[in-house]
Amino acid sequence: MGQREIYGERGSVLESLKEGRTGEAIDHFRGGLAAYLLLLPTLVVSLVFLYYPALRAVELSLYQTLMFGARRSYVGLGNYVSLATSSTYQWSVIITVVFAAIVVVGVMGFSLVVSFLLHEIEIGKSAYLIAAIWPYALPPAVAGIVFLFLIHPTIGMFTSVIEGLTPLTVDWFSRGRQAFLVVTIAVIWKQIGYNVIFMIAGMNNVPKTLTEAAELDGVSRWNRLLRIYVPLISPTLLFLVVMNTIYAFFGTFAFIDLMTQGGPGGATNIMIFDLYRNAFEFNNHGLASAQSVILFAIVSVLMYAQLRLSDRHVHYG
Amino acid sequence: MSKTTVTRHLPDSITRAEIDGTLRSDRLWLHVGLFLSVLLMALPLLLAFVISLQSRGVITSVSQLSFDRAFENYRAVLIDYNMGRYMFNSFVMSIVIVVGKLAISLLAALAIVYYRFPFKNFMFMVILLTLMLPVPVRIVPLFELVAGLGWANTFLALTIPYLASATTVFLLRQHFLSIPVSLVEQAKLDGIGPIKFLVYVLIPMSKGMIAGVCVIMFIYAWNQYLWPLIIIDSQEMQVSQVGIRLLQGVVETGDIAWPIVMAGSIVTLIPPLLVLVLFRRPLLETFGVQQK
Repeated sequence: MGQREIYGERGSVLESLKEGRTGEAIDHFRGGLAAYLLLLPTLVVSLVFLYYPALRAVELSLYQTLMFGARRSYVGLGNYVSLATSSTYQWSVIITVVFAAIVVVGVMGFSLVVSFLLHEIEIGKSAYLIAAIWPYALPPAVAGIVFLFLIHPTIGMFTSVIEGLTPLTVDWFSRGRQAFLVVTIAVIWKQIGYNVIFMIAGMNNVPKTLTEAAELDGVSRWNRLLRIYVPLISPTLLFLVVMNTIYAFFGTFAFIDLMTQGGPGGATNIMIFDLYRNAFEFNNHGLASAQSVILFAIVSVLMYAQLRLSDRHVHYG
Repeated sequence: MSKTTVTRHLPDSITRAEIDGTLRSDRLWLHVGLFLSVLLMALPLLLAFVISLQSRGVITSVSQLSFDRAFENYRAVLIDYNMGRYMFNSFVMSIVIVVGKLAISLLAALAIVYYRFPFKNFMFMVILLTLMLPVPVRIVPLFELVAGLGWANTFLALTIPYLASATTVFLLRQHFLSIPVSLVEQAKLDGIGPIKFLVYVLIPMSKGMIAGVCVIMFIYAWNQYLWPLIIIDSQEMQVSQVGIRLLQGVVETGDIAWPIVMAGSIVTLIPPLLVLVLFRRPLLETFGVQQK
């Protein structure tokens, strides 16, 4: 199976956009009208529920919402100016970027070691594989609530272990840094399965002869991971950097909502949670739409980066 | 790789027995490392499961464990606290999304691979670029639109906005392109129309890929949280992810009833976990993992 199939999700889509090919080699059934009828359901849903609301968000972002959503007036880029000058929003952007960076490094570091161990063993491989990828199915809400309970400052089981073994006091309901750390760990936990799946797929594609030669030359296992596997699966790793960043930005709402509500003191108020609060707690639809547009800009840049970078780092396939 | 090649590269003083011993202990360490890693990953869930069987959430020693309430907790969470209803809603939502997405994506992929029509590349782009529009990017207008259609608190709101799928169309297209052209020629000679071709040729030839895509779609749909949270405010229509949030309000003797909340979390995890375990082969193949 080629490199392109490995990227199952979004990555492969970009590869194909770049190709600009849609399979014109095969051309068997006639009738443009029939083709459009077949495309119609997908196109209608895409236009009505995806493109239209996205464009409408751009429009709404130019209006100021008054009286809790009852009225609105045109303010041009006023909402964007408010966001740029709001210290709450600036803080939210900073912690989201830091959060995404830690999630990406944390989940990929842990998953890389697990994937490599899994790749190296022979006995019990399929049992280990399922034991390593199951968090792919883990609902974020479940991951969040389980961590909330296990490391609860007063009753958590992890809390008593941590406080027994170290001089630390677990107090993340009032200490921002601790809250940030706890949320990050839960968020990483959920994403391990996805990363292991793609890393294993990448490692399976590395030619056996190459690693056997290294083994004979006495290259240690650790060095084989760093010097052979990591460079050779770098396209997969780059793809995962982008996917994990998108996950950190867009897929972590449930964790914040269940664990911290953005607190304490805004320490976990990541952009998507701030957007939700502006939209549905304060009914400030104009401001929230401006935040949506900013998130769209971020996801576009990430996708574009993925497209550009994968060009330069392809070592095989 | 034969043993003799190994010895040639090693100093003479090392004997065969020593090499075998080193290799064995090396492999043992791999297993220890891997076992500890997967145990670490499973630990939070194992503890959550144990607590879900207890009568109280605070356990400080093993002697306090008692399993008298095990069945009662699950009965209570499913019936008294409505989790059964939320899970039913999640099932309907997920099944409709999987079937609907698959159906309309099959049609779209059929058109894209086997037809020639004007603006084909552009249309394919229109479908693919929806990847850049996750729910948060359009949440306020989507909410206004769906509420304006009168769909709030209905299955229409929970399913229809999810039906267009760039990923599914793309994966199916990739798979269709790998089907030998000669088969298509044969079908054409036999006078088979496009829909028959889809049903009798393409679908049977894509079973594994379709199964894998269905697993991805099911897990994705089941785990949705933000959209149901805002568009559903009637408890009867809520899904189990948001049900977990509602369980946080269950209070016994002044504290959150943690065993009940953990039982709710476990039942919410079971369907996607079961799907993953049962269909791991097609899922992994779809992601490009070859299994021996």
